[in-house]
Amino acid sequence: MSYVGLAVVAAVLLAATAAGLWRRHTDGRMRSVTPSAAGAGAGSVGSAGEVAGPVLTADEIGAEFGSRATFVQFSSAFCAPCRTTRALLGQVAGELDGVVHAEIDAEHHLDLVRRLDITRTPTVLVLDATGREVRRATGVPRRTDALAAVALASAT
Amino acid sequence: MGLDPRGPRFAAAVTSVVLAVVLVTGSGWLLAAQAVVFAVAVFAGPGASPYGRLYRTLVAPRLAPPTEREDPRPVRFAQGVGLVFAVVGAVGYLAGLTALGIVATAFALFAAFLNAVFGLCLGCEMYLRFRRATG
Repeated sequence: MSYVGLAVVAAVLLAATAAGLWRRHTDGRMRSVTPSAAGAGAGSVGSAGEVAGPVLTADEIGAEFGSRATFVQFSSAFCAPCRTTRALLGQVAGELDGVVHAEIDAEHHLDLVRRLDITRTPTVLVLDATGREVRRATGVPRRTDALAAVALASAT
Repeated sequence: MGLDPRGPRFAAAVTSVVLAVVLVTGSGWLLAAQAVVFAVAVFAGPGASPYGRLYRTLVAPRLAPPTEREDPRPVRFAQGVGLVFAVVGAVGYLAGLTALGIVATAFALFAAFLNAVFGLCLGCEMYLRFRRATG
């Protein structure tokens, strides 16, 4: 019987539980953009504190921007939460005028993944009509949060 | 046709128990046996591994059929990550480098437990970061 081993088991289970609960708490939350992330855009030259420009072009997402908002979803080929997210955002885009849902395969667009600092799938970027990022979420977003993000994007 | 997603989570739960026993007993041989289980999942698929077979014969018949399927590829990748940790840990324990054995097993237990309880696949998430850096 290793008492050190027993202590390690307890510590690991505690840490893993905390990590799992934290992930559950942050998953799907629409976060506002930090200046550094917003600044790494396609055409912006802003420094910290300035409003950044578009982070993506319509060519890059393969669709025209929605007049109110665009959901850009980064997905992987194998990713059950990505399917759930696609269904959710597709439904929202279908219900509302001026809202577009575009999906990007992360593995085949590693340049965008690096530029936009995508670390997980699904990651959803909410863009306004000019392609500026107003919110992003990792994990499956809640429907209410998606609708709120559309309202926010429409207002900019 | 993919995996019943509850199978890998069952396997992760069994793995967690085994890894906890490894830590408490300090048994390098048990860890080596777990490494073999990981290896079978990587090279023959998760369904062919002992825990996968256990799930199919003992657990699945008692449950409703799965409502969705899971791609086996990220599961196999994640099992591969587990294999690396288990091999390093087993070598550590068997060579008398107990600290190495403990640390490697602790990391593997962390990932297996997260998978079993929260359904999070750390190995799968590592895959995108890996491709970002090397692709």
